[in-house]
Amino acid sequence: MEERGAETLRTYEEINEKIRRGDIVVMTADEFVEYAREAGVEKAAKEVDVVTTGTFGAMCSSGAFLNFGHTEPPMKMWKCWLNDVPAYGFIAAVDVYLGATATSETRGIDYGGGHVLEDLVSGKEVELRAEGWPTDCYPRQYVETTITLEEINQAVLVNPRNVYQRYAAATNSSDRILYTYMGTLLPNYGNVMYSGAGQLNPLYKDYNYETIGVGTKIFLGGAVGYVMGEGTQHNPKARMGTLLVKGNLKKMNPRYLRGATVHRYGATLYVGVGIPIPLINLKVAKSAATPDEEIYTEILDYGIPSRSRPIVRKVSYAELKSGVVEINGRSVPSSSMSSLPYAKEIAETLKKWLEEGIFTLTRPVELLPLDVEFKPLQVKRYEPKVKDVMTSRVISAKPTDDVKTLASLIVKHGIDHIPIVDAEGKLVGIVTSWDLARALAEDKRTLQEVMTTKVIVAKPDESVDVAARKLLQYKISGMPVVDENFRVVGMVTTDDLAKLVKGRRGVFSLEG
Amino acid sequence: MKVKILYGHERIKKPVLSTVILETGVPLNILEASITPSRGEIIVDIPASGEQLEKVLEALRREGVEVSELGPTVEVDRERCILCGACVSPCPTGAITLTMEELKIDDQLCIRCRACVAACPLKALKITSEG
Repeated sequence: MEERGAETLRTYEEINEKIRRGDIVVMTADEFVEYAREAGVEKAAKEVDVVTTGTFGAMCSSGAFLNFGHTEPPMKMWKCWLNDVPAYGFIAAVDVYLGATATSETRGIDYGGGHVLEDLVSGKEVELRAEGWPTDCYPRQYVETTITLEEINQAVLVNPRNVYQRYAAATNSSDRILYTYMGTLLPNYGNVMYSGAGQLNPLYKDYNYETIGVGTKIFLGGAVGYVMGEGTQHNPKARMGTLLVKGNLKKMNPRYLRGATVHRYGATLYVGVGIPIPLINLKVAKSAATPDEEIYTEILDYGIPSRSRPIVRKVSYAELKSGVVEINGRSVPSSSMSSLPYAKEIAETLKKWLEEGIFTLTRPVELLPLDVEFKPLQVKRYEPKVKDVMTSRVISAKPTDDVKTLASLIVKHGIDHIPIVDAEGKLVGIVTSWDLARALAEDKRTLQEVMTTKVIVAKPDESVDVAARKLLQYKISGMPVVDENFRVVGMVTTDDLAKLVKGRRGVFSLEG
Repeated sequence: MKVKILYGHERIKKPVLSTVILETGVPLNILEASITPSRGEIIVDIPASGEQLEKVLEALRREGVEVSELGPTVEVDRERCILCGACVSPCPTGAITLTMEELKIDDQLCIRCRACVAACPLKALKITSEG
């Protein structure tokens, strides 16, 4: 078998020579897919030298290193804010890293690191505020001034994880609207949100990473950038590869670098990336010719708040891009978080750069790894689950019981929630002291007349964080814990959860 | 057609809309209503045109309320909009469509729910007359 990266069809030198002569044959990935379909991939691979790709989406794992230069007297900045957005300052004296998802301390998620980067690239003045750690060599304690991109020394966009090869799509089986990093998800599988440009996606067009690696020259934010290597969470086995990229912020174009806010989720940065795929061998040409119909991803159910979200179904980018996806026999509208028209524009711009001879290709000094794994974080300490905090001695009642009996139960046991169960012990409703007041006011006699039948429940193995969030979301103070047969095995209340606050470090607040 | 109906406290107790619906037989659709002790402001969709629409407007005016026509509900900042699609499928009435060139909002289908305004990551959408 041919070695990965083998230049059997053409070499980088030959391609660059053609770029210099001005007779390079370039197609965007969209064009190449169509051409290969018509002419056959062998013929297409012989005729076309380079295929350009593009993507423009929210890439949260982005940010920039900035060097401000020294003040008089100098200072060691260790806390720093740009337009009230905190930047990481524990890098020497006047270097900081501004992350795209950092949020303004005055405006919250409406304005974040991504917005600061866009403002800088747009030539706007940005407020710089920093606190120092005074030393004999750095006596200053505080500075407040304004800066522009032009004034600062280096501004290097360094994005640890960009350009996902493909990305899981999202839907929501729950009965409430969800606001996620995949956008707004309507209840009961009301819509599907996806991300990624499918057949224009850079890494998917070089499926085995034969041409992309350390040192690959790319389009980044409207300027020339480089691949530094595999991105974080690079997951080649699932073909969810990622890239670590860098570029000079000073050369970038605000059209391709946009600060954004995902509703009730957070601030981010939309980044435009385009990668040229030189057709160095037939395998590369074949992967560059892959159409949307053959690029698959999974639709995950975000209604389940767990790391392993259930897969609803496998879906092609062709179906996702059509705007309608079939779920459980129903036609559900689908739309994208990333911009396909901009992805296309980027692939076309890169094509133009190559044709005009202002962009040449680089041979990577090392290809992306194929064998790394993306591991989850194992929490080694025991974390309490619902079954550890719930009350297992449950006082329950039957639907046919009368209101008065229940009132005496509530008084006798000093409790507030009584689950109502059928003859087999299965949960059919819940009654609280408030329902009893209503029974009295409306002259109701039996529990089935006043009980709430749509009961919010917890599972014994559920994390206490998930249970606490449920209580908050539904504005309730307690809920029954049920097993897989819906039999009541306990009750969990805000009081039970409040006991946990003691002894737990970090943020844990029932107010959310 | 979508209209805004305004009236002062003297009409607050009157069932203005029901009267008009019964009189004209046109099923008005209430999109928003804000009634305070001093005034009422209701936004309704009138699913009628031509003569029938005139009849409804006439009947409303007879009830002594101020009626003004609303323009396009959602304003798109074309400079900010990156044609992504984050607003498209969250629209509960399917009023938004996206092509490679343009984002279109069908005002007939829009119910002013603001789902799109919230969903837009670029803050490119707003309800006309709101900040």
